[in-house]
Amino acid sequence: MPEYVIETKDLTKQYGDVIAVDRLSLRVPHGGVFGFLGPNGSGKTTTMGMLLGLVHPTSGEARIFGDPARHPATLRRVGAMVETPTFYPYLSGRANLRYFQGVGRRGSSSDIDRLLELVDLGKRAESKYATYSLGMKQRLGIACALLGDPELVFLDEPTNGLDPAGVVEVRELVRQLGKGGRTVILSSHLLAETELVCDNVAVLSRGRLIAQGTIQELLRQHDAFHLRTTDDAKARVTLAPLSWVERTEERDGGLVVTAPQARSWEITRALAETGVYVNELVPVHRSLEEFFMEITGTDPTTGRERS
Amino acid sequence: MIANIANLTRWEWFKLRRRWMLWIVLVFAILFAQLAVWGQFFSYENLQSTGGEITVPATLQQQQGRLPRTVACNDLLSGDQGRQPADLDVQVIAGLAAQCRQQAATQPARLARAYQGFTLPGSISTALVIVQALALILIAILTASAIGIDYGSGTLRSVLTQGTGRWPYLTAKILTLAILTALGLLVALATVAISSVIAGAIAGAAPSAATVTATWADAGLALWKAWVSVLPYLALTTFVTVVARSSAAGMAIGLGYYFLGQLLIALFSSLFSWFQNVADFLLVRNISAWTQGGAGTSGGFSSLGGSLPDATHAIVVLAIYTVALSTIAFWIFERRDVQGATVG
Repeated sequence: MPEYVIETKDLTKQYGDVIAVDRLSLRVPHGGVFGFLGPNGSGKTTTMGMLLGLVHPTSGEARIFGDPARHPATLRRVGAMVETPTFYPYLSGRANLRYFQGVGRRGSSSDIDRLLELVDLGKRAESKYATYSLGMKQRLGIACALLGDPELVFLDEPTNGLDPAGVVEVRELVRQLGKGGRTVILSSHLLAETELVCDNVAVLSRGRLIAQGTIQELLRQHDAFHLRTTDDAKARVTLAPLSWVERTEERDGGLVVTAPQARSWEITRALAETGVYVNELVPVHRSLEEFFMEITGTDPTTGRERS
Repeated sequence: MIANIANLTRWEWFKLRRRWMLWIVLVFAILFAQLAVWGQFFSYENLQSTGGEITVPATLQQQQGRLPRTVACNDLLSGDQGRQPADLDVQVIAGLAAQCRQQAATQPARLARAYQGFTLPGSISTALVIVQALALILIAILTASAIGIDYGSGTLRSVLTQGTGRWPYLTAKILTLAILTALGLLVALATVAISSVIAGAIAGAAPSAATVTATWADAGLALWKAWVSVLPYLALTTFVTVVARSSAAGMAIGLGYYFLGQLLIALFSSLFSWFQNVADFLLVRNISAWTQGGAGTSGGFSSLGGSLPDATHAIVVLAIYTVALSTIAFWIFERRDVQGATVG
């Protein structure tokens, strides 16, 4: 079995002059929930499209389970819900699932009842898809992605249109899906939600991969302290040359120093050696959202650049 | 690969049979087939009871300020004064009677032809003349709808992520439509067979002069030709729907080509003699040539645009159209990126 469930190498998609995905080299480990993050237009859906054989890459390669991503045999081991779920409007929810189960030769008909119950659509299973609300469509999309118990599941914005209770249910479902060896790729702009369920994340911005790793690792890279000293100006000058200090900036009447929290003692020692003494040193815990905004320079929901 | 296509074909049928459109199309095919049989039956009955009808000359009607009308030959030739049209001059009646006497010589053959038109196996060919023309229109609607819905509602994305493969999926769609066309023709003709038995029973014995020329082999050949003639049209509509990613465009071009093609051929052929050569390579004209048997046969002359090409020429042209349009459609379907719903 290959080391990574998904592996891309210099994957690129260009539409005319616009580069939607730029030399993306991504590695997704086996098992767990992998967050695929990025503002709108960052190339998440295009990347998913290339992995699922819907979009032809301009160059580069993509592999799933070590095999070419777009190969039908590979895709039969993958479940996907990309963007808004799409089904035949004149068929019922159950008939739609039966159809997709049939064409993909995924599992048995008894799975359909189980999946409909799982996504809480049992009572509306015989209603035509055209009569479903957005939330119900989303639930059916999730059920469809789980047909045949796939080893890899792509879920693109699975909580769109769901009420708060539904969001919690789907979050729990995604967490459960990620257990037991299955890999779930969760694409979402709701970073608080992602932070709660994902083990690993990749962040895309303008088609490029700008960060990848476990959430803890990524947030740790951007650990910071809020510092009050006897001489903030001198403290900035003292800390600036240290290689492990990423940045110092004045904020809220003190200094915010971006540096690993494990080296806090070195900060106090360095300052003391230059005659600057620390009055207050408070670790700053950043959320994934703050981290995201910092490295992409954009708001995760709107995709607009921060002013 | 064959197993995959067979499986996809099965599930295509699963979808199609749940659409009203399929059954509406079938009902239309059956209705028109019935129209052909019963039309022939009533024509036969009329011919038998009137001995044929003669239209009173238009000039005479205009002079007398009357509406266009016909008179029955049986009345004119009966010699019974009470059955003669009272509103016509004696000389006019004599002229019309002379025409009837001329027609009387061909009356047995006409009766025999009409009788064959609504009794088996001749009724099959009769019905196919109408059903085949209708099938071209219906298949354009059905094909555009069956393929276009995947673009309109965005379901193509959901289907392809199941690992169906692109060309097997399109192949299964076309195969399903081709099979359904054959089945639709068979169902329509089965109802024709039932109606033929009923009509034959009502009409009674065949006219004494009737010589049976229609055979089951002719009926089978007509069915084969009708089915084959639909295939290039299926390819054309598939091509347009895939290129435009829209069922509306597929229907518009499919139907538009059928009517506009005939109109343009008739118009340009009458204006420019050289256009006849161009028309011989157009789809609609070769479909007519193929189903009517081409040049040199009784049906080998088109009312729109002169004599038709021969059947061999027609089938070669139709095959080229089918292969070329299908190849381009498959190539585009295979190569193009799949986006979300286009609605339309």
